[in-house]
Amino acid sequence: MSPGPYENSCHRESARHMLLTKEERQRIPSAFDDISFDLCRRRDDVIMMSADLSHYVDLFKVTKELPDQFVEVGMAEQNLVGVAAGLAKAGFVPITSTFGSYASRRCFDQMVICMGTSKNTGICIGFTPGISSPAPVHHQGTEDLGMLRAVPNATVIDPMDVTDFAQALDVACETPGLVYMRGHRGTTPKMLDPETFKFELGKTYPLRTGSGVGVISCGHASQWAVEASDILVDQGVDHSLLHVPTIKPVIEHEVIDYCFAHDQIVTIENHQISTGLGGLVSEIVCKVGRGPRITRIGVPDSWAPGGSIRHIRQHFGLDGPALAKRIEEVMQ
Amino acid sequence: MTSNSAKRTKTLELQAAKMRRNVVDICMQRGGYAGQGVALSDVGACIYFDEMRPDGNGWYHDRFVNSNGHDTIINFAAMAELGIYTMEELRTMGADGSPIDQSPIEGARGFEITSGSLGTGVSQAAGIALGERKKGSDKRVICLLSDGELHEGSVWEAFMFAAHYKLSNFVIIIDNNDLGATGKTSEVMAVEPIREKMEAFGFHARQINGNAIPEILDAFEEARNVKGKPYAMIANTRIFAGIGVYQDAIPFAHFVGANGRWDTGYLEWEPGWQEILSTIERLEAELAALDQGQT
Repeated sequence: MSPGPYENSCHRESARHMLLTKEERQRIPSAFDDISFDLCRRRDDVIMMSADLSHYVDLFKVTKELPDQFVEVGMAEQNLVGVAAGLAKAGFVPITSTFGSYASRRCFDQMVICMGTSKNTGICIGFTPGISSPAPVHHQGTEDLGMLRAVPNATVIDPMDVTDFAQALDVACETPGLVYMRGHRGTTPKMLDPETFKFELGKTYPLRTGSGVGVISCGHASQWAVEASDILVDQGVDHSLLHVPTIKPVIEHEVIDYCFAHDQIVTIENHQISTGLGGLVSEIVCKVGRGPRITRIGVPDSWAPGGSIRHIRQHFGLDGPALAKRIEEVMQ
Repeated sequence: MTSNSAKRTKTLELQAAKMRRNVVDICMQRGGYAGQGVALSDVGACIYFDEMRPDGNGWYHDRFVNSNGHDTIINFAAMAELGIYTMEELRTMGADGSPIDQSPIEGARGFEITSGSLGTGVSQAAGIALGERKKGSDKRVICLLSDGELHEGSVWEAFMFAAHYKLSNFVIIIDNNDLGATGKTSEVMAVEPIREKMEAFGFHARQINGNAIPEILDAFEEARNVKGKPYAMIANTRIFAGIGVYQDAIPFAHFVGANGRWDTGYLEWEPGWQEILSTIERLEAELAALDQGQT
């Protein structure tokens, strides 16, 4: 195939600047504590909410220093989202927090009916999404992106690091209706340069440019894709990386341009390989037809084991070396 | 009873009768939740024409969340009297392409929430009540739900929440009509004793005859004076209360078709229509007599 727009020097330049070098990357402890506190200090209409998991999603400072902007509902996710929708109807911007497994499975009806049919902003954050929880299936929400992507008018965001998590949350507060976001808890990497990365709803971000195989990823999996990419760069394997933080609504022509500029596409997601990012990219490319082959990598229609994230990634071949090998193999 | 309260009651009885007429008028076209609408007209009249304070801009200062989509026919019936909907519009309910939904979607004129998924309204109403209090507003929030909705676990989450946050600006009305979708609530899944359960959940609770307007007004007055607790008004009603011929024909009907049928029996629309028109005529005469007595 002929070189596409991702070959030109302009994109190469911006891509290099957006992704911090290995040496520049940092790890930020309890990142969401600062992100939420900073947001609430800037906006007194924002209310952080918890279903008895505040300490497990790094909500500390808001609860102590801005108690009027914190609402605890107890271990009751349906009520969490229902009350949030009510606060939105009273003029506030509610942000619910719980684990992604509960956020998606236990209160899906409330998200759809109470927030999804409303013009008021209602934000639900699912923390420790996908396999990033050490406990197995009951704590691992690996279907959430697909479920929420199917909801008309919903906004679905899966940020990769502290930079786009914080920026996307700001944008979410200005987005009408239901916004489902995946969250990062604990020590969270800073991989994107806040000086050059500007989150815009739907926009896709080339992190590395190249030809041959194009790797599309979102959320935690964009961290994994960068790890694999670092290995491939060292090995001199040509490829490119595209980070897609907005699962819905994504700017489709950007995905199409990217996919048709490559011979092979690999999608990597912290999610079941059906219905999520891989499904999204496949659907978009199918609209055009005669596109490149798409290899979907993620949780392969199975339950993940529990354990450390390192162990679970290795189990599914999602660790950096395994991913690098799988990406390289699609070109053979 | 003072003449003022006699007139107040009579006025509300007349409004309730007009709401019943509107409910029947709508349901005669393509069927509908006629039994609930007729039975809840007394509660609805008290909410719309007495308890909620006008905002001076054609709407209300206070907020009314109807959690049970089936019961929203009383919102339409009341708003027809307020001129917010015309009967011509409302008679299209249930027709393909009609903008009038049997369970309306948030954003429809006069509706706070999308209420068709049962049990989801109470949490939202409680959230509104907390939000209004946070803003320093004195708005009161009324939430109507059905006894069948007590089957949904999320309403009990919301009850705990309302009591924990001491939402004294929050009044729930439980339409205790012993009717679910497939039969009597008491037989499908018993919910009694409701009052004791609400008290155990931290509410100030009172059980009343939901078709006796003075009792409804008394309960609202009591609710306004309760401090530090939400209020639960358990309004005992029976399907079609207020139109005797319908009540005799189908004592338990979740839905009545345009042909007057439900699986427990059938009714003729016309006799009930005539009955409610006569009731309106009688109440208008009685109200006029009260007015004359006062002058």
